[in-house]
Amino acid sequence: MSVIHTPNGYTLDNSGTRHVVDPVTRIEGHMRAEVNINSENIITNAVSSGTVWRGLEVILKGRDPRDAWAFVQRICGVCTGTHALTSVRSVEDALGINIPENANSIRNIMQLSLQIHDHLVHFYHLHALDWVNPINALKADPRATSALQQKVSPHHPKSSPGYFRDVQNRLKKFVESGQLGPFKNGYWTNPAYLLPPEADLMAVTHYLEALDFQKEIMKTRTIFGGKDTHPNWTVGGVPCPINVDGTGGVGGLNMVNLNQVHEIIKQTKTFVDNVYIPDIMAIAQYYKGWLYGGGLSSQNVLAYGDIPDKANDYSAANLMMPRGAIINGKLEEVHEVDLRDPEQVQEFVPHSWYKYPEGTKGLHPWDGITDPDFDVSTAKGTKHNIEELDESASYSWIKAPRWRGHAMEVGPLARYVVGYAQGHEYWSEQINQTLKTLDIPLNALFSTLGRTAARALESQWAADQQLYFFDKLMTNIKNGDSATHGGEMWDPKDWPSEAKGVGFTEAPRGALAHWIKIKDTKIENYQCVVPTTWNGSPRDEAGNIGAFEASMMNTKVEVPNEPVEILRNLHSFDPCLACSTH
Amino acid sequence: MTETFYDVMRRQGITRRSFLKFCSLTAAAMGLSPSYAGTIAKAMETKPRIPVLWLHGLECTCCSESFIRSAHPLAKDVILSMISLDYDDTIMAAAGHEAEAIVAETIEKYDGKFILACEGNPGLDEEKTGGMSCIIAGKPYTEQLRHAAKHAMAIISWGSCASWGCVQAAKPNPTGATPIHKVPDLGNAPIIKVPGCPPIAEVMTAVITYILTFERLPSLDRQGRPKMFYSQRIHDKCYRRPHFDAGQFVEKWDDEAARKGYCLYKMGCKGPTTYNACSTIRWNGGLSFPIQAGHPCIGCSEDGFWDKGSFYDRLSGIHQFGIESNADDVGIGAAAVIGGAIAAHTAVSALKRTQQKGDQES
Amino acid sequence: MTTMATKPHSEPSVYVYEAPLRLWHWMNALAIVVLCISGYFIGSPLPTMPGEASDHYLMGYIRFAHFAAAYIFAIGFLGRIYWAIVGNEHARQIFLPPILSSEFWDGVLHEAKWYLFLAKEPRKYTGHNPMAVIFMHLMMVWGTVFMILTGFALYGEGTGYDSWQYTMFSSWIIPLFGQSQDVHTFHHLVMWVIIVFAIMHIYVAIREDIMSRQSLISTMISGWRMFKDGRDVDDLH
Ligand code: HEM
Ligand code: HEM
Ligand code: NFV
Ligand code: SF4
Ligand code: SF4
Ligand code: F3S
Ligand SMILES: [Mg+2]
Repeated sequence: MSVIHTPNGYTLDNSGTRHVVDPVTRIEGHMRAEVNINSENIITNAVSSGTVWRGLEVILKGRDPRDAWAFVQRICGVCTGTHALTSVRSVEDALGINIPENANSIRNIMQLSLQIHDHLVHFYHLHALDWVNPINALKADPRATSALQQKVSPHHPKSSPGYFRDVQNRLKKFVESGQLGPFKNGYWTNPAYLLPPEADLMAVTHYLEALDFQKEIMKTRTIFGGKDTHPNWTVGGVPCPINVDGTGGVGGLNMVNLNQVHEIIKQTKTFVDNVYIPDIMAIAQYYKGWLYGGGLSSQNVLAYGDIPDKANDYSAANLMMPRGAIINGKLEEVHEVDLRDPEQVQEFVPHSWYKYPEGTKGLHPWDGITDPDFDVSTAKGTKHNIEELDESASYSWIKAPRWRGHAMEVGPLARYVVGYAQGHEYWSEQINQTLKTLDIPLNALFSTLGRTAARALESQWAADQQLYFFDKLMTNIKNGDSATHGGEMWDPKDWPSEAKGVGFTEAPRGALAHWIKIKDTKIENYQCVVPTTWNGSPRDEAGNIGAFEASMMNTKVEVPNEPVEILRNLHSFDPCLACSTH
Repeated sequence: MTETFYDVMRRQGITRRSFLKFCSLTAAAMGLSPSYAGTIAKAMETKPRIPVLWLHGLECTCCSESFIRSAHPLAKDVILSMISLDYDDTIMAAAGHEAEAIVAETIEKYDGKFILACEGNPGLDEEKTGGMSCIIAGKPYTEQLRHAAKHAMAIISWGSCASWGCVQAAKPNPTGATPIHKVPDLGNAPIIKVPGCPPIAEVMTAVITYILTFERLPSLDRQGRPKMFYSQRIHDKCYRRPHFDAGQFVEKWDDEAARKGYCLYKMGCKGPTTYNACSTIRWNGGLSFPIQAGHPCIGCSEDGFWDKGSFYDRLSGIHQFGIESNADDVGIGAAAVIGGAIAAHTAVSALKRTQQKGDQES
Repeated sequence: MTTMATKPHSEPSVYVYEAPLRLWHWMNALAIVVLCISGYFIGSPLPTMPGEASDHYLMGYIRFAHFAAAYIFAIGFLGRIYWAIVGNEHARQIFLPPILSSEFWDGVLHEAKWYLFLAKEPRKYTGHNPMAVIFMHLMMVWGTVFMILTGFALYGEGTGYDSWQYTMFSSWIIPLFGQSQDVHTFHHLVMWVIIVFAIMHIYVAIREDIMSRQSLISTMISGWRMFKDGRDVDDLH
């Protein structure tokens, strides 16, 4: 039994009982968590493992860079599109391609739709059941629920006692049928659930409302990209032409489509304002004493920035989502982030199932290597039946990215921390308002709940920015510019024999970048460092633990055999394992 | 377990009126005449909910994402009132042991009576990934899949991953990703492929509704896809087809032709070789589909569509002749070589002939 | 060597190609020309037509030409097979190369030498020379079979699931290749095989007409093979 002090300040002690959670559910993809829990029910050692790998980086070699977006979009169908956008940006960066202003506005609207959709589905369908107990909702008084609803969200029309009674009846009969479907085998008697029945009923009702509504949000992308999930993108602009008053206008994006987009954005904003935000605030009221799970968020956070206001300008000043890194909790000093600097972003593999020709040295993604090498020879169990991982050896399909050697947290909370530190006006206002409403100190943000709240706030902001870009698009069209694709450098014959570029976005789960090297019009190397690669990273050679692992550390669990708290902490990152390993 | 959909829907507060409306929308989504609404309603009134295990292998979860975009019926109604979604690690409350226990319990209780819905596929490569490119409860996903498949009534292969292999099976297929129907030792349950990357939401829910309503599997084509949705090409029912026939094509992005909605054939459209329902059912409640939004079809429901050369080339590359060549490159090359050889041969022949003549004359 | 009596050694001319065969040859040649041109433009269409879609049918006509020629090509080929059975022995030649006969291969070798300017003189044949037989068999007979099979498989996709073309061709050929796009690719590729054959064939026909010991082009028109010298023919016919 050993005690290890990690360079990033954690004391790992694996003397307590080992608990394995595999599969970790209500996430995208496949993941395993192992923790040691001591006699006081505190987690003293945490191990998170990415248990899936497909090899997209290997598959991309030798392909046409203009096709790459479609491949990498299939890295994930949940954050669908963000990889595609990152990819077309990396190619445009490599080849020096500019996109028209309208294409920028359309891409931003699509990306913001994703943010909102992803956050909303995450909260209601992947995360809520960590806080909300649907069985307890059966005990609620529909009248009291109605009163609660009207108090937290006076403008939401679906709030009558009769409405909640109907939903409760539906739920009751569903439960009584004995076929619990997705609610089966939940931890419904666990004392970690703190909501009163009325709040549970309200939340379950919105679980269903959100399930119906989420599909509307993405319709902007169906109009611009032809389908969702996995809409279409293109290097050099967007595929959809605009034709508002020419012959054959119905052949392109016309006034009808633009009206549809406008309508969807407005509905989205209403839902976020009237349902999502009030629910978060209401639920947080009951859990504001449960401030575990902060992990790295109060120490090291990283954001690349996104949503360029003007087209083709990726400098921090032009990005509406901020860029920067904070180290050791020093909010007063936000570091510049340069994705081209070989010293900044590097990936390590000593605890991952990959090998580098030169052992433990970190590699900048332009020179990154993805060479699988599965090995669990020192784990407990057999190769095809792992009982306990050995975290001192390789134990994950996720690589370990580091920023100047530091393990970083990325994601909505990281973005909000960076934004707050830089004085982002809208966001600071939201944060201050939230702290005031919940009557909690700034420190409370660095928690599982803070992460969950940041996501909701960001959705609210995103809906407003959608309106901003919609207006911008319309103004531009009004001024006679309806270009959506420049056509520049489309033909590979015009390309230099060698080029390299980097594209980045803020994906729903955090900072995302793709590094591409092009040689003789083909992809020579393509490397993705993905939000969940950052957050879910295993240890590096210095022993730093990653954000998932840090978030589980020192959490108290009510019932060691029931992993509610582990799920809660992990879910607050909205883990995406298909993304993390790709 | 003798509850019917109708019972459940009624008990969940759905009125008979909206139940009937649901039935007619379902009929429409399946491409059936309105008279079928009655048949569907009758079936729903008399049949119990069927357990579904929805397993995830190597995939991107976008089939699930597509599924929840269904407008007719709503995903919510499918999950609450039509099937019993007992295992789906993307949305289930339980985790770890409690989650895995459900698979065992369902198999025990409903042996041969549940539907196995597969999203993604297993990676069979042993060499570099140890058969462990997808691990569930410490074991290869392949094991979970095989076990469940042997007890299932039928298997639905969701999406191009389960049906064909999809992106992870694109060359060089580093994990040995293998579509469900090609996984050895899987038992004999019939497999319904619902390809697409992802499949259209309403097609997914219609396939389920069809099975439940008519108590039989949809009729399949030779490749195992429901004929009702996969027997015609995008091109056969594309609204841009008149432009194709007229010879009116988009030549480059955002040109005049693009703005008028001309045919995308020259931009590499794979509509003529792609079997799917996009040009009729369309996406997200019938709102649009790739071609309508100006992008060529990339053929996402076809086997191996990743390895047919650039999405923007009408003519596919031929790998056997080096990466870049398409049939015309190869052919023109060969013709040029032959042409050159003939020219040389003519010259030599002419020379020979003058020689011969000279010989004869002398 | 068989009996001397069958060897038309000193006749100035022999009736080789019967009328149906000649008719087929030229119809087939024409069909192939149409198929190649229309096929090429199916793969790489002409520049966009202006105006309303309803005013034009260019792609439609090109495809119609392709399909019409395809039927002529396919039915002609069936007729040609029939003629191979009922026609004279020359009519069978390209279908049944005597690949087990060493003499035949010796003839191929000699013909190769002739083309490489290594042999002084070509041999004399009533029908095709052995090299021509090999080429015609491989590139024309099998090429034609391939184009008809893949062509009708593609055609069946358009006529639809319940059509005979779909049932007889598409239903098994498309899965055999993997998917429709691959059938297009190989259908397209074999066009070039046929073009290459045609180029060589026409060149050789003209060249041999001038340089060899028998008539060629006029033979395909009149059916009569004329010999330019009185020596023995080298084939068995
Ligand atoms: C100007 C055009 C053409 C000329 C002058 C020509 C001439 C000839 C001649 C002279 C022969 C008889 C060869 C011999 O006696 O050994 C022949 C046979 C043949 N030609 Fe052509 N040809 C032409 C075009 C084509 C084309 C375009 C094709 C098809 C691609 C073609 C396919 C054939 C075939 C298959 C035979 C063998 C006939 C048989 O034995 O059934 N020809 N041609
Ligand atoms: C010498 C014979 C033939 C040649 C050289 C030829 C050539 C071609 C070429 C180059 C294409 C374009 C392929 C692509 O790139 O997509 C094509 C398409 C096609 N061919 Fe042929 N072909 C021949 C015979 C046939 C036959 C016998 C049929 C039977 C009906 C046929 C039916 C088709 C069809 C249906 C298409 C696809 C048309 C479309 O996609 O609109 N072809 N052919
Ligand atoms: N991690 C991750 Fe993604 C996101 N957000 C991608 O970049 O989820 Ni599927
Ligand atoms: S078929 Fe396509 S959409 Fe579905 S999981 Fe696979 S990659 Fe994703
Ligand atoms: S856009 Fe594509 S599917 Fe539509 S007619 Fe043109 S080629 Fe066919
Ligand atoms: S790309 Fe896929 S979504 Fe439909 S139009 Fe083509 S099959
Ligand atoms: Mg990577």
